[in-house]
Amino acid sequence: MKTSLKDWRQVHRKLKKMRGLSEEERIQLARSLAATPDERWQMHENFLHSHGLFSHWERKAYGFKW
Amino acid sequence: MVGMSGAILQGVPATTTDTDIWVDLPERQYVRLLNLVVKQGGTPMARTMYALSDGSLVNFIFSMTGLKKFAEEYAQSRELLWNGFKIRVLPLERIYKSKHDSAREKDIAHLPLLMRVIRGHRFAGTTGGPRKTQQRKTK
Repeated sequence: MKTSLKDWRQVHRKLKKMRGLSEEERIQLARSLAATPDERWQMHENFLHSHGLFSHWERKAYGFKW
Repeated sequence: MVGMSGAILQGVPATTTDTDIWVDLPERQYVRLLNLVVKQGGTPMARTMYALSDGSLVNFIFSMTGLKKFAEEYAQSRELLWNGFKIRVLPLERIYKSKHDSAREKDIAHLPLLMRVIRGHRFAGTTGGPRKTQQRKTK
């Protein structure tokens, strides 16, 4: 089934019977599963940008080795 | 593409600070990759690791723990459209296998999340589950 991020509620419904997940985890998983590869990567980059950890130089300034 | 970057593209809600690319080259020929990256404005950080001009890191991998030869894994890889390019990504099950067999602390930590997403794809019937090449064979 091809989906994109906007279809996450549809995916979320299908995950209702999946055990071992809290509702928050189910929503996060549904969004990630529904997204296209480009959307998934964008979410990943947005997260790193939001913490100032996207580039190697930003991370070094933060104290990361790489 | 292998490692957590490949996993993220297949729906694993995680982050990584480098992109692992498995190359079908003997490690002694790493200079070819170095020249290629430097020509594009990248900076060598280590023999196989480079900072690209946008600050993102790329790590070239010459062999993968727990997996078959490059050609065999490539034949079973998934084709994804990413940034307008068709790329080949190691399927989640194979990323899981490699991380499981390498057994490094950071790899072991990813296993439950990878398994959750593999299960999630099966439940939801979303892409990222069965491999494309296998789907073709069953038609």
